[in-house]
Amino acid sequence: MSYILVVDDSPTIRTSVEFTIKEFGFPIKQAENGAEALDTINEFKGKGEDLALVVIDVNMPVMDGISFLKEFKKTDRFTPVLILTTESEGAKIKEGKDAGAAGWMIKPFKPENLKDVVMKLIQ
Amino acid sequence: MIKTKDMKTGRDLFILYPGDYYASAIQCFIGSVTGSCVIVCLYDTIRRIGGMGFLIVPGAIGTEGIYRDQIAAQGINQMELLLGELVKLGADRKNLTAKIFGAATFRESRLSREFISTSQLRFIDQYFKSEKIPVYVDDLGGDYRRKIYFSPTDGKVYRKVLSNNDESSEFIKMELEFINRIFRNKDTFGDVILFE
Repeated sequence: MSYILVVDDSPTIRTSVEFTIKEFGFPIKQAENGAEALDTINEFKGKGEDLALVVIDVNMPVMDGISFLKEFKKTDRFTPVLILTTESEGAKIKEGKDAGAAGWMIKPFKPENLKDVVMKLIQ
Repeated sequence: MIKTKDMKTGRDLFILYPGDYYASAIQCFIGSVTGSCVIVCLYDTIRRIGGMGFLIVPGAIGTEGIYRDQIAAQGINQMELLLGELVKLGADRKNLTAKIFGAATFRESRLSREFISTSQLRFIDQYFKSEKIPVYVDDLGGDYRRKIYFSPTDGKVYRKVLSNNDESSEFIKMELEFINRIFRNKDTFGDVILFE
């Protein structure tokens, strides 16, 4: 079964997101930053596991969410990436859209809204 | 927030008003006054970057804890805004330590003592454990206001207890406005934009 990858440097946010979307039944994996997310994706690709969705923050050490997106989209144009961040500036949102994000969700997130968005993106 | 100069050292001094947050990798002071709110000072001990922000949790947190609680989500978000600024400057959560001050209760306050002692303290306890950020100082409670100066490049905090309310009357008014705003907006969540 394909999995959902949750990427945030905050363990609290990663756990909150996991609690919110685990009812969809997808296995959920976590990463702390963009670089770790790319490593995780490559590791599981090697094991034949498909990726259904990435939910990722913007401001993270090592590799931020936008840099991840630019790198990820070089090899995977189809798997949706949802940005979940406190960033709400128009220029930043446009940067995310141009880099290939499927959606932009501003924290704090309402659990029902996150479930709706995830449902739409994984269908 | 206003920028001024600390008279003793000549360093830049950034005075935060309730609800503000600020982080710096350059030697300066960040200062404010708190009553019922909590002031959180975070410091990256490796990269010598620090920041200060305000925290108030707008209600009681449910028994399931902070991960599934929409009231707690508001507190988490206030912390995320400060943490985001620190990360932009190059800080890493793994190196952070915290010093926290405030959560005082006042006879004239509309917030009950029970609310302060349970919601704020419960959130702080659960949140910092979850984030694995060690709390080096927690100077919370009491019935007095605290004036806090934070030096973000060495993590030092200077605290003064304010016994005279006239000294901080502007902050008292602004803190009440901030608390009311957070409580009013406790059911407000971020927008969602779908690009495809």
